[in-house]
Amino acid sequence: MTAKLHVGAAGLLGLALAVAPARGQEADAGVPPEASSLRPKLEFGLEAKAHYRRSDENRFAVKFPFTPDMLPVGQTQGFEETVDEGNHFEISVVTLFADATWSDQLVAHAKVNFIDLYERNPTSSADEVNVDELWLRFGHDSQPALLPAGSGAYVKVGKFPKLERQNDRHLESYGLATTAFNRLEDVGLEVGVDLGRHFYLKGSLTAGNPVFLRDPNALAGDNGTSNLLRKNPDPVIKSGVVIPYDAAVQSLDEDGDLQKGGAVGLRFASEDGETGLDALAFGRERKLAKTLDIRGSFYGGDLDLLDGPAGIDPAKVAFPVTSDRKREVGADLWLYRGGLSFFGQYVDQDLGGLGRTGYEGEFAWRFDLPLAASFGGRQLFPSIQPAVRYSKLTPDYKSPPQSPSPSFAWPWEKWDAGLRVAIVAGVDVTAEYSHNTFTLGSGAKRHNDELLATLRWQI
Amino acid sequence: MKATRQAVRRAAISGLLAALAAGRAPAASAEELRGRVELLARGGKGLARDADVRQAVVFFEPSAARSTRAPETPYEMVTEDKEFVPRVLAVPRGAKVRFPNADPILHNVFSVSGQNSFDFGLYRKGPGQTKRFDTPGLVRVFCNVHHAMVGYIWVLQTPFSTAPASDGSFALPNLPRGSGKLTVWHEQAEPWTIALDVPTPGPVAARVEVSRPRIPPHLDKSGRSYFRSNREKYGG
Repeated sequence: MTAKLHVGAAGLLGLALAVAPARGQEADAGVPPEASSLRPKLEFGLEAKAHYRRSDENRFAVKFPFTPDMLPVGQTQGFEETVDEGNHFEISVVTLFADATWSDQLVAHAKVNFIDLYERNPTSSADEVNVDELWLRFGHDSQPALLPAGSGAYVKVGKFPKLERQNDRHLESYGLATTAFNRLEDVGLEVGVDLGRHFYLKGSLTAGNPVFLRDPNALAGDNGTSNLLRKNPDPVIKSGVVIPYDAAVQSLDEDGDLQKGGAVGLRFASEDGETGLDALAFGRERKLAKTLDIRGSFYGGDLDLLDGPAGIDPAKVAFPVTSDRKREVGADLWLYRGGLSFFGQYVDQDLGGLGRTGYEGEFAWRFDLPLAASFGGRQLFPSIQPAVRYSKLTPDYKSPPQSPSPSFAWPWEKWDAGLRVAIVAGVDVTAEYSHNTFTLGSGAKRHNDELLATLRWQI
Repeated sequence: MKATRQAVRRAAISGLLAALAAGRAPAASAEELRGRVELLARGGKGLARDADVRQAVVFFEPSAARSTRAPETPYEMVTEDKEFVPRVLAVPRGAKVRFPNADPILHNVFSVSGQNSFDFGLYRKGPGQTKRFDTPGLVRVFCNVHHAMVGYIWVLQTPFSTAPASDGSFALPNLPRGSGKLTVWHEQAEPWTIALDVPTPGPVAARVEVSRPRIPPHLDKSGRSYFRSNREKYGG
């Protein structure tokens, strides 16, 4: 039996609301509620993003035998093609946040996205409403590279980010490793134990994210969708230039085999958190489903995506899958020194016998600026933050000769460089450029770049 | 701007001395203690270049207890250009200190120094609020918005206090004869203390090694890291 995610999310939200008082008031700022208080401290936040984007136009011929009705009149070949190239002004995402804090030991959190173009994959149009996070946590969970007061433990249930995900990105784009392995949230249970202040363990039991395809550029969509599939004479099937990735969870425990994850970490930090180091080794495993319904797309997820369309010789379209297991092992490293930060991640994946490694490193430096002007009691241009990220994906498998997605097997490099300028507290602009370089099956190198400028507003 | 700050600082110190002096008549046996403070680099290798000796507080505590009387007029520690001006303030026990905001931006001045703790919350440009300090000791003052804003208030039980000149020299006039304790405090050094008898045979030399950063490690008023809040508010 399949329970759709939004049903589960609504149930959890109902549980959280049932526990919370109907007319909760925000506690005095900065004063933690007493541990025994039944009235939580309620905090709400809003974040909205708008952007200008200029995406390269690219198309790469594929040898998949598309039927004539799938191609424009007169066209005999399909392409992996940028979905929505060119210049665009768009509202990227509007996000509502809610936190209910009874104490440091009991916290509920909700994050709901509206419009979210960042997650408009597999659909070219975003879900109108998407519950991105919804969880309840018992116990204290430390942020990376910050010391807890001592030993402790927590249990978190709901929908939440993967335990190895970078928690403070400094660009709006994503690295290749993050995109491929841990960009989106999972659903289930996570436990963590601090053994002293420096050593910690984590474990998770989750539904697992379905394997699907997406273009690594930040806002590229996927036109393999029913709502945009037009018939001849003008069919539109644009997948983007794609890699396999862990897509949004579509359902809870599709086939009864939950994903098991674990991690061990070591952290050192100054008491005030100005300087910190956190190293985390992690791993997880689950069974790949034969197919998974992907909301908004006629493509199937997991093995279905790798096996190729039915009715065609698998030797021509199927990737050489040898098992139904999906495993990842990897490591994270966080370094902080004042405004300076580094995040690095390495992941080694076994996707049904298809091996792939990915890594990325992001370096950012925040500079606080002197007070020169103000607006509404807040400093204008309080800080700037340049950031640069390098990421790489290296598949060790070849594409079948007629795969509709030969880019699954292309070695890929990506440079992201940008500057975040804080305009006033809660409002900033991030201008960045993503330079993609991938190697085609022929050995030729190609690029698929994107310029992105994002205005972000937080309250 | 620097001249303004120095003037405020001098006024603060002079005000303290005048206020303290107002509470008593100089004894016929009054003595003056002179000396010099030298801030040394780590390891004592030459003079420290990144520390301002004028920010030191020098005070003498006679063995025989002395009463102090705080003035009615409050002292001031102003938030200006995202700094506290003066950065260091010495006041008698029971003194009031007002914290005007001269910046066009919001500040949240607070302290978690024991009995002298306070939290004014966010406030705009204006005269600010006043806090009375009744417990002797060092009060560390911060802004909950701006991590780099650091100020110190010494609440003293002795009327004998001063700040060194730019060359490190200082003078404590009108000291009573007899034994006591001389302390030199600087935000970037361990307190330097010596027991002595007044009058001293000559000037006192206080050689103090700078061993701390100008911005001390500290948490916000809720006990959380400023750097956590500087990181992404909503993660991922």
